Amino acid sequence: MTARKQHIAFVAPRFPEGATVGGAETLMKNLARRLAAHGCRVTFLTTCAENHLTWENTLPAGTRSIGPIEVTRFPVDQKNDAGAFSDIQSEIVLNVELSRAEEQVWIENSVNSQALYTHLREKGDAYDCIITGPYLFGIPWFGAQIHPDKTLLLPCLHDEPYARLSIMRELFHAVRGVIYNAEPEARLAERLYGISREKGRVVGMGLDPFETNAAAFRKKFGIERPYVIYSGRREVGKGTPLLTHYLSTFRERTGRDIALLCTGSGTIIAPPEMQAHILDLGFLDEEDKHNAMAGALAFIHPSTFESFGIVLLESFLAGTPALVHAAGEVLKWQCEQANAGFWFRHYPDFEEELLLLLDHPELRQKMGASGRAYVEATYSWKAVEERLLRALEELL
Amino acid sequence: MTAEGIFQIDTPGVDAARIVREVQESVEKKLQDGVYDDARIARSERLNLNNLRNQEQFLGFYLRCLRDAVFVNISDFEIHERRKGLAPLLVAFKKTIWNVLKFYTYRLWSQQNEVNGLLVTAIETLDEKYTAKLGELESQVTELKAEIERLKT
Repeated sequence: MTARKQHIAFVAPRFPEGATVGGAETLMKNLARRLAAHGCRVTFLTTCAENHLTWENTLPAGTRSIGPIEVTRFPVDQKNDAGAFSDIQSEIVLNVELSRAEEQVWIENSVNSQALYTHLREKGDAYDCIITGPYLFGIPWFGAQIHPDKTLLLPCLHDEPYARLSIMRELFHAVRGVIYNAEPEARLAERLYGISREKGRVVGMGLDPFETNAAAFRKKFGIERPYVIYSGRREVGKGTPLLTHYLSTFRERTGRDIALLCTGSGTIIAPPEMQAHILDLGFLDEEDKHNAMAGALAFIHPSTFESFGIVLLESFLAGTPALVHAAGEVLKWQCEQANAGFWFRHYPDFEEELLLLLDHPELRQKMGASGRAYVEATYSWKAVEERLLRALEELL
Repeated sequence: MTAEGIFQIDTPGVDAARIVREVQESVEKKLQDGVYDDARIARSERLNLNNLRNQEQFLGFYLRCLRDAVFVNISDFEIHERRKGLAPLLVAFKKTIWNVLKFYTYRLWSQQNEVNGLLVTAIETLDEKYTAKLGELESQVTELKAEIERLKT
């Protein structure tokens, strides 16, 4: 079956209308838009929630067209047993072995919407294909069980405690096929659940090329000092406290006056002596963010839980090499494939590699150019669209 | 500090994996030479311990850093006051408080330092003991494998 003229439903806990709400949601929205542009009828089934911590229903329920996509929002259910959910969640994070029944209680009290499930049960026949994700929420988990024979999972899988739950193995085996963002993610699903390579396809997300102007950025924000950059949410899970501590130690040990420029949202946890050297610009528009990346000596992404790394690829497009954590398999793989970044296991690696980048501008330039060429070839929308359409054709 | 002279950087056609491999080899050598035995690194690395579980050599290095960081400085220190107006009065007040509490904090922290030191020594001893034991077992396994191969042929 060719993808053109198909009616495709995307099912996800959130849909970003304005500012970016998260990598997985941005990815799904972009894939949905590309399929719509290709001639598919695309419906995005999601919730009325915007905040990924409170899951409060802040947007009105109902259907409206946003660009070429028809977005239908359903209210998030009240949790039946919030206490049990947080108790089990704490045990999951600590890698405590749980019974199947406990895992069931956890997913039943995750983000769910009975109204959305009813819609899928009653109107699901209208869709030729259902694409759902990311894997660790109630909505994709229950949503995928309603029409598993035509559901493709877009898991955004990380090597984390949630991935080791037995119910996740069930989810991956239940669906018709899996769409991965990168090769290491497919290898992880194979390792954790024994998912055959034939059942999945690597697609990823496309990025539009952009021009940058680092000088304009420096002028606009009055930044003259040399800096490295981090973009994204600032939280423990993303490794930002590790980054600020490493940079603080780096500054003290090497005497190099390097600032850390941060874009994105969240509180930056940093040692007191590093505070004066953090340039927190908060949420920037895309143009400013790309210019900020272009002006940086390096882009540093210390997260070990990424399934794609949109900001890493943006930094490559901006011509800036990267430093990533070696335990973050996907980011490390992207750096290796692109020859545009180094990976560190611990502080000593970090110090040596950052010094290497600082002291060799020609190396930075070569790596930046290599990264840009890699992203243009592998993650152009044309290349991604081809992979997505082929995946739909081959998996369904 | 500089990375100059350590690596051969061939910029035409950058091979990131090769450069990282060379960096890691250089770092392993420097770790053995004690270049990174630094309490500041130990403090930073606390946030990375989860990812270091599989780095066998790193535990030894981390323990050496910890030994530098383990003793709390309980010496007298210069007392400052940033608020200008009442600075002399506040400094005098803080000095009085410090003098009153000193005998107690010295006793408290010296005991804490003793405990910290003993704990690090205990962990180091355990590490050395089990590293030696593992080495011994590994060599026995190698010998046994060789013996099995010999018997097969």
